[in-house]
Amino acid sequence: MTDLSPLCASGQTAPRVATHGALTITEHASRALASLALRRNAAEPHPFGLSLPGPGLWSAGQGMAAFWTGPHQWMIEAEGRAQDDFAHDLKTHAPGCSVTEQTDGWVCYEITSGRGAAPIHDLLAKLVNIDAADFGPGRATRTGLEHMSVFVIRRAQDRLAILGMRSSAGSLWHAVETAAERVEGVLK
Amino acid sequence: MLIPHPLLGLRDAQEFTYLGDASLLNRPDGMAPDAAQAFYQYQYLRDNPAGVHRELWFHEQGDRSWLIVTRDTTTHEILAAELAKEAAR
Amino acid sequence: MTQSSANRPSANRLAGGLVDRSKTLSFSFDGKGYTGHPGDTLASALLANGVRLMGRSFKYHRPRGVFAAGSEEPNALVELHDGARRDPNTRATVAELFDGLTARSQNHTGPLAFDLMAVNDLLSPFFAAGFYYKTFMWPKAFWEKLYEPMIRAAAGLGRLSMQPDPDSYDKGFLHCDLLVIGGGAAGLAAALTAGRAGARVILADEDFRLGGRLLAESHTLDDAPATDWVAVTEAELATLPNVRILRRATVWGAFDHGVYGALERVGDHMAAPTGLRQTLWRITAKRIVLAAGATERHIPFRNNDRPGIMLAGALRAYANRWAVCPAQRVAVFTNNDDGHRTALDLMAKGVQIAGVIDSRKGVAPQGDYPLFAGAMVTDSRGRLGLNRIAVTQDGRETWLDCGALGVSGGWNPNVHLSSHHRGRPVWSDALQTFVPAPAGGPPGLTVAGAATGAGSTAQALASGAAVAVAALADLGVRATAPDLPGAEDHAQHLAPLWHVPGAGRAWVDFQNDVTVKDIKLAHQENMRPVEHLKRWTTLGMATDQGKTANVTALAVMAELTGKAVAETGTTMFRPPYTGVPIAALGGGDTGAHFRPRRLTPSHEWAAAQGAVFVEVGQWMRAQYFPRPGETEWRQTVDREVLATRKGVGICDVTTLGKVDVQGADAGEFLNRVYANAMASLPVGMVRYGLMLREDGFAWDDGTCARLADDHYVVTTTTAQAGPIYRHMEFCRQCLWPDLDVQLISTTDAWAQLSVAGPNARRLLERVVDGFDLSNAGLQFMGCADLTICGGLRARLFRISFSGELAYEIAVPARYGNALMARLIELGADLGATPYGTEALGVLRIEKGHAAGNELNGQTTAQMLGMGRMVSTKKDSIGAVLSRREGMQAETRVLVGLQPVDAADPVVAGSHLFTTGAEQTTWTDQGWITSACYSPHVGSSIGLGFLADGANRIGEVITAANPLQGQQIAMRVVSPHFVDPEGGRVRD
Repeated sequence: MTDLSPLCASGQTAPRVATHGALTITEHASRALASLALRRNAAEPHPFGLSLPGPGLWSAGQGMAAFWTGPHQWMIEAEGRAQDDFAHDLKTHAPGCSVTEQTDGWVCYEITSGRGAAPIHDLLAKLVNIDAADFGPGRATRTGLEHMSVFVIRRAQDRLAILGMRSSAGSLWHAVETAAERVEGVLK
Repeated sequence: MLIPHPLLGLRDAQEFTYLGDASLLNRPDGMAPDAAQAFYQYQYLRDNPAGVHRELWFHEQGDRSWLIVTRDTTTHEILAAELAKEAAR
Repeated sequence: MTQSSANRPSANRLAGGLVDRSKTLSFSFDGKGYTGHPGDTLASALLANGVRLMGRSFKYHRPRGVFAAGSEEPNALVELHDGARRDPNTRATVAELFDGLTARSQNHTGPLAFDLMAVNDLLSPFFAAGFYYKTFMWPKAFWEKLYEPMIRAAAGLGRLSMQPDPDSYDKGFLHCDLLVIGGGAAGLAAALTAGRAGARVILADEDFRLGGRLLAESHTLDDAPATDWVAVTEAELATLPNVRILRRATVWGAFDHGVYGALERVGDHMAAPTGLRQTLWRITAKRIVLAAGATERHIPFRNNDRPGIMLAGALRAYANRWAVCPAQRVAVFTNNDDGHRTALDLMAKGVQIAGVIDSRKGVAPQGDYPLFAGAMVTDSRGRLGLNRIAVTQDGRETWLDCGALGVSGGWNPNVHLSSHHRGRPVWSDALQTFVPAPAGGPPGLTVAGAATGAGSTAQALASGAAVAVAALADLGVRATAPDLPGAEDHAQHLAPLWHVPGAGRAWVDFQNDVTVKDIKLAHQENMRPVEHLKRWTTLGMATDQGKTANVTALAVMAELTGKAVAETGTTMFRPPYTGVPIAALGGGDTGAHFRPRRLTPSHEWAAAQGAVFVEVGQWMRAQYFPRPGETEWRQTVDREVLATRKGVGICDVTTLGKVDVQGADAGEFLNRVYANAMASLPVGMVRYGLMLREDGFAWDDGTCARLADDHYVVTTTTAQAGPIYRHMEFCRQCLWPDLDVQLISTTDAWAQLSVAGPNARRLLERVVDGFDLSNAGLQFMGCADLTICGGLRARLFRISFSGELAYEIAVPARYGNALMARLIELGADLGATPYGTEALGVLRIEKGHAAGNELNGQTTAQMLGMGRMVSTKKDSIGAVLSRREGMQAETRVLVGLQPVDAADPVVAGSHLFTTGAEQTTWTDQGWITSACYSPHVGSSIGLGFLADGANRIGEVITAANPLQGQQIAMRVVSPHFVDPEGGRVRD
C-alpha cells in the first residue's frame, strides 16, 4: 500500500458532512467508479452479475451498481474499492468492452432525507431542471447544475446522489448545501 | 425550449450545445480528386432557412449524444429528433 | 413590534374590508410616521392616512397620486427600504405593508410638495412628442458637454443605492400538468377543477392574497361574501398534494414549449428578509390556463392627472378590500354600467357621491346619487390633489366639489402572456377592446375569465372550469367542472369614449407624460404606425409598459387617422409582464460563487505554500510561489525558471484536458482527427499532435500517448478541453459512426505533475517502485504504466514543454496533493522547486513552444512551422482546406525576437515592420504573440509571426507599439532560445 495520504475531493482528509433539517449531505469517497462502453459487435456483459440498466436508469447489485450514461455506455460503482485498480478488475469481467478508470474524476455527494421523499423533491427543484415526480428510485441522469455537469441518481425515495467533477467539488458543495439550507428553512 | 431526446424524452435545451446545419454529416472524401471544391461547398455553402431546418445539437450535459433535430426556426416547433449516429449510418 | 393600542383614527378608513384591525403596523413615508394594518398595501395605508400625493411624473414633474390598485400602477412609484436595500420604482399598490416599512417618494428636487423640477411643466411646449429627437440635435458640440449630462441628471425616477445588494436570491425548476396563471374567480375554478381530477397543478398569483377581483367587489357568491367561497376553495386546494399554490408570484413570461418564468417575492413583505428575498422559478407546464383578469382603462380629459383621480374599479377595490377611500366626497366618470357600481359600493360604505358623470345619453341612475347623463368631465382643479371637477352637459359647464374621481372607460383583458409568441390580439367590436387571438398564442395555453373579455363573475367561474376540463382532456385526464356558486352576470353596456375632446393637456400615459396632444403631434409628423408612435412619444414604456394607456392611445390614433382600431394595430407584448430584478435573473450566486471554480489536485498544498492563484477559465491555478524576501513577482518567476533549468521544477498540469480513446479503430480515428499520423505511433510512445479546424486553420495541440494497441490517452489545451471533446464526439458519432472507438474524459481523474529540469530523473528515481528511468527504460517521448511510493498506480510520460529533461507523472487525483509535497520534500537537495503558470509560460517561450497566444484560431500549421506535419497521405479534419492557395501562400512564420538593446521591453501585440519602412497596414510584416523576461537570455524576449521569417534570421526589424509610442529594434532569431538542438530532452 502506498504511503502517500489521499485527500478527499473537498480538499480535506475526512469526507465532508453537513445536516440541515431532514437533509444530510455526505461526501462519499470510498466508492470506485469505472466507465464501461460496448465495443463494436460486443455482447452486453454482466460484470459481477450486474444487469446493465437502460437509458436514464440506475440499478444496484451486491456492493456494486451501474447507471446508464449514454448509448452503450455505463458507469459502474463499486463500494469500498476507491483505492484499488477497480477498472482493471472490471475489464476482466467485461470482455470486449472499453473500460476507463473514473474514480477520482468525480466527487460524490450522497444526500439522505429523514422525512421521506418530500425534502428530496424540494432539493431537486432548487438544483436541477428534472421533474422529481418522474425521477423515482432507480433513475439516473446527467444534467446541468449551476453551470456544472453532474450525474444525479435517485437511489431510493429518501436517497439521492449527486456526482460532479472532482475539481469543482467546492462549488458543487456550496450549491447543494445552500439549496439544502433553503429547502429545510434553515436559511429562510 | 425542450428537445425530445429519442432515448431520454423531453430535455431542457440548456443541456445542449448547438452546432447548426445537419448537412455537416455529409463530409466529403478528403482523398477524392475533387476534394478541394467539395470541401469548399461543405464548409461554406449552407442553407439557413426561415422554416424547417435539420440541425445538430449535442447533449453535452446529458448522454453526450449528437442529435439531429428538425425545427421550424420561425416558431421553434420541433418536428423530430433522432440520434445522429443512427442517421449517419 | 406590532402596536395594538396606538390606533390612530383615520377619516379615510371605512368599515369592513380585508385588513386585520387587531394589529397595527408602523411605517414611514418621506420620513413621516404613519400606521396601517396587515392586509394593507403601502398605497391603501397612505390613502387611509389621507396621503394622496405620492410622487412626481417623469417628464413634467406633475404631482401624482395612486391611480390603480394593482401591478398596472403608473404613478405611485416609490423607493422602498433604506440603505443598501433601497429599491427604487416600487409600485406602492403592490407593496405589502409590514411593520417598520420605510418608503420615499421619488423624482423631485426639494420636498415632494414643492418640486423645483416642476418648472418642466411650464416648459412643456419644449417636451412635446419626439423632443428627444428634435431638441438635442444641434449644435453638435453641445451634446457631450451640455445635453448628455443634463439628460443624465434628469433621467430616471428612483435612485439606486449604489451599494452591493445584501439580499439572497434563488431560482428553481417546477413541473406540472396545468399551470394556472391568476388566482381570481377563473383561476380558482380552473385550479379546483384540475386539482380534483388529480392533475399536477401550479396556481400562481401575483397578489399576497388569492381571489383577484373577488376581493375587490361587493358581489356575493351563493348569497355569501365572495371571500367565503375563496376561503373554502383555498382550503380544499391546500389539502390536495397535487396542487401547489405560489402566492406573491408573477408569471412574467411565456417561453418555448411550455416553459414559463415566475418571480416569487418570498421576502419582500418583510422588513429585512432573513433568508431569501425572491425566487425565480422556471416552470415547465404541459398545459396553461391564463386567467390574468383585466385592467381598467381611463378616459383622458383636461388635467386628468391630479392625485385623487383614479380608476373607478380601483376606487371600488380600495373601499371594498382595504376599507379606504381617498376622500369623503367622490365623483365617478364613466361610459359604462361598471362605473355606477363604484358609486353604489362607495355609498354603501358611507361615502358621499358628488355625482356620476356618464357619457351615455339617456341612462338612468342605479341608486340614489346625482347622475349627469350624456355628460363629460372636462377639467379639474387642485394643485397637489383634486378638489373639484368641471362637468359639461349639453354645452353647459358646472363645477363639482370632490376629493376623488373614479374614471371608468371599460376593461382591457390582460392578454400579455397570450401574445408572448408574437401572437397579436384581435379587436372585438362587441367588447370594444383587444381580446386574445383564437390561435397563434403559446401552444398549450388557453385563456379564461376576464382575460378573454368575458368579465362577469359567472362567466369567469364557468370559463375557468371549462378551460381546465378541456386542457386536461388534451392530456388524457378526465375532469368535471365543480359545482360553481351562483354569481353576478352583468353586462357593461359600454359606449366607447376614448378621450374628452377639448383644449389643454389630457394625459393618456401617466408614467411617461404622454397626452392626447402628443399623439396628435405624432400623427401630424407622420409617426402613425404604432411602433413609431411608441418611440416618438415614449408611450407605453418604462415600468408599467403602458398597461393603463396603450389601448386608449391606439384608439386616439385610430380616431385621428380615421381608421378602425383594429387596422391601427397593437404593440408587441414581450416578457416581462412586470419588472424582474436582474439579481433574481442572475440566479443568486455572487462573488466567489458567481461561477463554478475548479481546483487542481495540489491546490491545498499550493495554498499552504502561499501561492498566488490566477483564474484560468474556471480553474484556479498557482501563478507563482513567492518566498520571503521576494518583493516583486518577477523575482519569484525568475527564480522558479532558473531553478527548473538548473535543478528540477514541479508544476501541476492537471488542467490539460485528457480524453481516453479506446477501440479497435482508435488509431484510425485519431489519424482522421489529428493532422499528423497517429495510427503509426508505437505502443508505449507519445507523439505531439496538432488538430486543425475543418477550414484548415490550426485549432489545438496536445499529446497522444498509446498505452495499448487499442488504447490511447490524448491531451488538449486547458482552454479547449470542452470544445475538443465535443468535436471528437461529433467525429465519432456523425462522421465515422462505423469506426469502433469509445471516448471518455479523464481530466479530473488523474493528477498530473510536470517534473522538469536536469535533476528530474534523479528526483523521480526516489519515488518510483523500481522502474528503470534510464533512456533504455523510458526514452524521450516514451510512456509507461508503473507504480510509485509503495504501490500507487501511476502513468509516466517523458515529454517536455520546457526543453529540459522532463516527465509528466499522473496518479489518481486524490494523491496529487501528497505527491506534490513528497516530490518537493525528497528533492530538497536537488533544488526541487514548485513553479506556477508564469514560469511555465517563460519556460515554453524560451523553448519556442506554441501556446494559446499562437494557437488563436487565426494561424495555420504552416505559420507555426508545422506545415509538413499535415499529412497528405491520409484524410484528416482540415487537411483539404489547409491546402488552399491563399493559406499556402502565407509566408508569416513563428520566429524568436530579441531586443537589440537588452534593456528594451518586448510587448505582445506589437506589430513588426522592416526597419525604416513606412508603418501602415500594407507594410505590416507580422506581430508579436508572446513576450516575457527570460532569465536564461538575460533580456526580454518574444515570439511572433513574421513575413518570410524563415529567411530573415539575424535581421533587425522594428516592433511598433503605437499605443505606448514604442519603436523597438528587434533581432530576428530562432524561436528556440534554449537548447535549439534538443539535446537536453533526450539526456
